Amino acid sequence: MTKNMPKPKVAFFSFTCCEGCQLQVLSCEDELVDILNLIEIVNFREAIDEKRDDYDIAFIEGSVSRQHEIEEVKKIREKANVVVALGACSSTGGLNCLKNKFPMEEVKKVVYGEKSKYYKYFDTIPARPLDAVIPVDYYLHGCPITKSEFLNVLKALLTGKRPDMPNYPVCVDCKMTGNICVFEKGKTCMGPVTRAGCDAICVTYGAVCWGCRGTVDNPNTESHEETLRIYGLTADDLVRSFDLYGGWNKYGGSK
Amino acid sequence: MDYRFLPKKGLSLFVDGLLKDFKVYGPVKMDGFPVYEEVSSAKELLLMHSPSHITPKKYLFPQRETLLRFKTGEKPQVEHAADADNQVLFGIHPCDIHAIRLLDRVFAYGTPDVNYLRRREKTIIIGTECLPDKFCFCRSVNTMTAANDFDLFIHDIGAGFLVKIGTEKGKELLFRHVKTRKATIKEISKLVEFHKKKESMFTASINAEPSTLPLIYSGSYDSPVWEEIGKICYGCGSCNLVCPTCYCFDVRDDISLNMKDGERYRVWDGCLLEDFAKVAGGHNFRKTRGERLRHRFNRKFQFQVDKFGGLFCVGCGRCSRACLVNINIVEITNKLIEERETGKKE
Repeated sequence: MTKNMPKPKVAFFSFTCCEGCQLQVLSCEDELVDILNLIEIVNFREAIDEKRDDYDIAFIEGSVSRQHEIEEVKKIREKANVVVALGACSSTGGLNCLKNKFPMEEVKKVVYGEKSKYYKYFDTIPARPLDAVIPVDYYLHGCPITKSEFLNVLKALLTGKRPDMPNYPVCVDCKMTGNICVFEKGKTCMGPVTRAGCDAICVTYGAVCWGCRGTVDNPNTESHEETLRIYGLTADDLVRSFDLYGGWNKYGGSK
Repeated sequence: MDYRFLPKKGLSLFVDGLLKDFKVYGPVKMDGFPVYEEVSSAKELLLMHSPSHITPKKYLFPQRETLLRFKTGEKPQVEHAADADNQVLFGIHPCDIHAIRLLDRVFAYGTPDVNYLRRREKTIIIGTECLPDKFCFCRSVNTMTAANDFDLFIHDIGAGFLVKIGTEKGKELLFRHVKTRKATIKEISKLVEFHKKKESMFTASINAEPSTLPLIYSGSYDSPVWEEIGKICYGCGSCNLVCPTCYCFDVRDDISLNMKDGERYRVWDGCLLEDFAKVAGGHNFRKTRGERLRHRFNRKFQFQVDKFGGLFCVGCGRCSRACLVNINIVEITNKLIEERETGKKE
């Protein structure tokens, strides 16, 4: 980028989610000064008061789970040249899609309280990923996203490159990190079908992969079901494992 | 070959001596499994064990390695990066010694790979014996013992250690740090006895002479085996990443956020991964997992043999050990042998 070029204007938006992915962006503390030398942030509720609508790049966090959110993301799409889905809720629908298993009226009763006579007035629709509503240019996966991946996507966009998005499973990240496979320890995980890029952080710190980044492009889910069965998972466990972050594909309907 | 006897107590002295000038890496236990890590004393070393899950090749060919650093601006600058420390790889098993011999050839072939070769030059290899598990089959591919390609080879013979001298460099290090004496015939024969014992411990074996395997693989292109195992394969690349002779890598550029400098680096890649043979425009030369498996097996038993003159499988069994769906390199090879012998492709 040359010195006199205007800085690209960037906006961050948040829909149904915990806003943890935006926090990951804000936690790039050592990099924030450099970032602000490169871009102008014009809309970022979690960080600034200013709200402008003249943005080039929109990072959209959260899944779409209310009727009026559909209209809002469509407006963002019209204004932005580039739309990036920020985090699992946005990129795959995330945990929110678990509610799609139940009738929406039931969900409202549970969330807002059956005793409240107002629960029926709340607007809710089955939760969906961003690309079920508008075209998405790039994806930042994960619950939450990783800082380094956010920075890589930002740098790629600013230098006119296609951002790298791993299409290989977490097994690769585990081998790169030198982790002992959790299956070797008699546990199970979703790593073999889950998109990598997280440096297998959960396994590295003693947990297992829950599949928050969604699946690789062509996961061998039949093989994985069989593997999990061999490792002692019941049919019910299997459903839970695949549904935790894969709810949209199963209960969401077509995009 | 020169054999020396090192008294029991000498080992920790020797390792302490090495630690003065080298980083020392060796097999240790992590979560109950053998892995190669940096060590700070001989006590940590696991000197008699089955193979580690991840190979020691990472010390010669790291998972991620900077190749060059660059500066942008009116006069862009590029500086070659080849950082290498003096290091000792302690406790390298015969299969991995053979694997390093093969990697040495690969990285010296054509345009020599400066990064690998510089690191290799600064590396001392100290071999040790090992215990085969149900996946090991080095006996079947002539890699059960290592005659050379190490600097020293240390074998525990109870009263002390039998040390085989491989290179002058190895000898010099041994003599500098510890007192040894010439080993007796009886002591040397203990290694031969151990080899006999080890030979009887294998449960996995390939049912053909190693020299016939390239021919068997060249005739197996259309075998139904590939589609069968392609169906269950995850395409996760674990077999590639744990293999001591897989050396493919991807090269990427990374610019710093200041947009003034950056680096070009390489990371391990694997031919089982879906995007490995995908090219610009989206065409994939090996779209199915079956094709990718066939490719990998052939790289070990045929293609590389044509190019470098020896099998590229050293029988460590790591790929079979790492495979969640039990695709076993010995079983597959035996199936191909059987197909060839019976002329039947089931």
